[in-house]
Amino acid sequence: MSKRPPTNDEAPFNVSRRTFLKTVGVGAAATGLVTPAPRAADAAVLGPDAVPLRLSVNGATRTVTVEPRVTLLRALRNHLGMTGAKEVCERGACGGCTVLFDGEPICACLMLAVDAVGHEITTVEGLGTPEKLSPVQATFAECDAFQCGFCTPGFVVASTALLGKNPHPSLEEIKAGLAGNLCRCGTYSRIFEAVAKTAERKG
Amino acid sequence: MAQDDSAGNTTFQVKVGPAESPVSLEVHTAPGDLKPWDLDTRFRAVKKRHPRLEAAQKVTGRAKYTSDVNLPDMLWAKMVRATIPAGKIVRIDTARAERLSGVKAVWTTDAKLVRFAGQDIAAVAAVSQEIAEDAARLVEVQYEANAFVTDLEEAMTPKAPLVFGEGQAPAPPNAPRNGNVIGPLPPPTLGGARGGTRGDIEKGFAEADTAHEATYRLAVHTHAVLETHGVVAQWEGDHLTVYTSTQGVFMVRAALAEAFGLDRKKVRVITEHMGGGFGSKLYPSAVGSAFAIVACRLARQTGAPVKLMLDRQEEQVCTGNAPGALMAVRLGAKRDGTLTAIHFRAHTEGGIGQSARTGGPAGSMYAQCPNVKLEEHDVFTNAGPTCALRAPGHPQGAFGLECAMDELAHRLGMDPLEFRRKNDTHPFRKTYYDIGARAMGWERRNRVPGQTAGPKKRGIGMAHGNWYVLFREAVSVEVRVHKDGSVELFHGAQDLGTGIRTALAVIAAEELGLKPAEITAHVGDTQYPPGGTSGGSTTTNSSCPAARLAAHQARMRIAGLAAPLLKVKPDELDFAEGKIFVAADPSRAVSFREAAQKMPGEVIACLADRKKQFEVVRQDLAATQFAEVEVDVETGVIRVLKMVGVHNCGIPINPLTAENQFIGAQIQGASWALFEHRTLDQNVGAMVNPNLESYKLLGAADMFEAVPILTDGANAGNNTSATGMAEPVFVPTLAAIANAVFNATGVRLRELPMTPDRVLAALAAAGKGSKP
Repeated sequence: MSKRPPTNDEAPFNVSRRTFLKTVGVGAAATGLVTPAPRAADAAVLGPDAVPLRLSVNGATRTVTVEPRVTLLRALRNHLGMTGAKEVCERGACGGCTVLFDGEPICACLMLAVDAVGHEITTVEGLGTPEKLSPVQATFAECDAFQCGFCTPGFVVASTALLGKNPHPSLEEIKAGLAGNLCRCGTYSRIFEAVAKTAERKG
Repeated sequence: MAQDDSAGNTTFQVKVGPAESPVSLEVHTAPGDLKPWDLDTRFRAVKKRHPRLEAAQKVTGRAKYTSDVNLPDMLWAKMVRATIPAGKIVRIDTARAERLSGVKAVWTTDAKLVRFAGQDIAAVAAVSQEIAEDAARLVEVQYEANAFVTDLEEAMTPKAPLVFGEGQAPAPPNAPRNGNVIGPLPPPTLGGARGGTRGDIEKGFAEADTAHEATYRLAVHTHAVLETHGVVAQWEGDHLTVYTSTQGVFMVRAALAEAFGLDRKKVRVITEHMGGGFGSKLYPSAVGSAFAIVACRLARQTGAPVKLMLDRQEEQVCTGNAPGALMAVRLGAKRDGTLTAIHFRAHTEGGIGQSARTGGPAGSMYAQCPNVKLEEHDVFTNAGPTCALRAPGHPQGAFGLECAMDELAHRLGMDPLEFRRKNDTHPFRKTYYDIGARAMGWERRNRVPGQTAGPKKRGIGMAHGNWYVLFREAVSVEVRVHKDGSVELFHGAQDLGTGIRTALAVIAAEELGLKPAEITAHVGDTQYPPGGTSGGSTTTNSSCPAARLAAHQARMRIAGLAAPLLKVKPDELDFAEGKIFVAADPSRAVSFREAAQKMPGEVIACLADRKKQFEVVRQDLAATQFAEVEVDVETGVIRVLKMVGVHNCGIPINPLTAENQFIGAQIQGASWALFEHRTLDQNVGAMVNPNLESYKLLGAADMFEAVPILTDGANAGNNTSATGMAEPVFVPTLAAIANAVFNATGVRLRELPMTPDRVLAALAAAGKGSKP
């Protein structure tokens, strides 16, 4: 039994994604774990062992050493201590793990951490703090737009993205914008109210 | 007004019921209890709208749920589950899993038989979540498959394979057994006033001018909580600490102490925040798995903390569900609408578990009907066991009963609401009908069902439901006032998302003249004073009166410190807005903080037990729901447009959170009525939709206008006059929507969920389908 894979590896790591892929991309063929499709001459295969990655999360650069198969969601939750995004359905059906990827909302459970290298990731933790809530977070709190709160980080991030694109959405546009997120406690109408109120305040 | 009897009980008159039609009730409170709050009480914090204390933590992703707890050197565990629905376990080979680098321990079941696809077989603990998943896949299990049955009606036939052998079935003693069918079940014991079988059913039907008989059916509904069941277990010597997503920390503690032969004091269970339960988290692990005990064993074996969270597929198959049901309902009434007989015969789909009783509404809602016969049966299938879900059995039972009531009203040529009024003795519910009908615009419904022209047909329906005034008495709350004037509240019960943490703070704030946000409330930990398991809408009714008593004690102690400063007697003082003042002359005041600074020590700690429950108007809680739908008869798609509910939860401590729960019940009901359908493959016996994309939940795009109307029932039997309310509001939702669909189309759908294929088939069968 091997030693535990390194986690929370914050050592400085200064290579570009491309150089990095070249240098660490060995050994996959020998393991037989992957059957790569024809690929560009400069591409490489990672893993299966843990590899260091440099991620840009909430404006800070974080290095994390994970197996290439580790999703962005698990890299955030299990290796970087950012547990705001939740692991709920594990297949992009519920939006509980929504984060912003270069400003676009995505399901972090459907993306490998390695594919996030070189992109800006924003999680719910990066939008505001308990002491300084973001406008969306403040209206969610005021309107009681949650019960158990487990879906809330996903809805907060999705609502932030929606308002970024459409600062004054109609009710139908709010519903469409949040259709990828599920809430089992049943707080949708409160969430719509919170989003509408945020828009109203922005004027 | 108040007077004491020889036993020390105090008699009070309390004014309860809807403000539109209040009732005066004489109650006898236990010695030391406070005068109950009622309709005449003037509140400063209670009944005002307060955001949750933990709101900032939840909206910023800082709130730590069980699934967010990661401890140093923690291992990840993963279960292996049965892939066949019935058979013998011949061999479990864990050798390949154990050889995998990073695997630290394995566990295998002692069970010899498999009864459902999803049963616990083995578990592994490894250094990462991914390696644990790999190792679980390497466990090889050899089975000897047996014949199985997954369909309710097939399980009821004499030739069906037996899910349980003789003497092995979970069933009440003395209940008759016939193959996979248990019942009729003996009368239930829970709830007190469930009415039940009475009179002479045949006499009742002989007296009837009109009768209606039909069979209603609905699918198994899974809880589909977003935070899956799970634990993080950590041993320190013979002390066990468990973080778990549960509805009952003390229940989990008792079970783990017993499993490991420990003194309960050596087990600590913590649920700071939890991501949804709805009845599925009323077990030490889950109804269909022993994962918590397995995780504790793996942790003890490895000497490391172990985290075991179920994945979504496991959550859908082994953590319980609300049973599907087949209900034959027969009603008789006189020409004027007086009910003469109710015959309710149900078979509920228990999987391998004891099912929920569906006869509650038929047995107790129309209390003046003299002739009632209930016949409830459990039917076993090779599927995951059912468990409590949001008023167990009652949404199903009310679906059967209240659709039948609607059909009989139609047959009698009566307005369905008039028909209810004619037969309902509940002192509050008659008022609810008026309030709800006004808010919905009941007069807009189709006089002739299906009369709207065009392909999109709208209709309005209603139904009502009931639940019970349930409570636990053995609970306590501690309130601590610190020398700096800060206040903390401690209570062991957990907050499921209902908002109990905030409700307790609101009550303390009311007594102490502070803002709820100024109270720090700590809940969900067995180190705190005992709280009950949260099920049956009991937590508010149980915990709030103890919080009021503890806060009141603290108030008296602080009043004793303030009185000399203001040169009055303590009982001349009042508390509001952070100040303590002379009630007769509010200009004479000191701040709460100044008074607290006079305490001799560092902290005043006040612990209070809940006092004995006292009289209520009636043992059941009422809720009425109205629904408006639009049915597209060309596509078969039903949209709920609006729901209006009217409900008595006593005095709503925090209407902001109470209304939220109310809306949530309307949504979960609409979701069951239209979308949710656990589907088992009849050839292989496994669930084909153990996920959140093909097990459909109502989503944002399906949302309707939700109108929750709370009335101050004050029918609670405790000093706060508050009860829980998650369940009663849920009970009538399914039937209200089904009745609205009938009003829209003139075609009755008697099976849920009302998916487009069923809608189109029903329209076609009635000759009302659209022309191709």
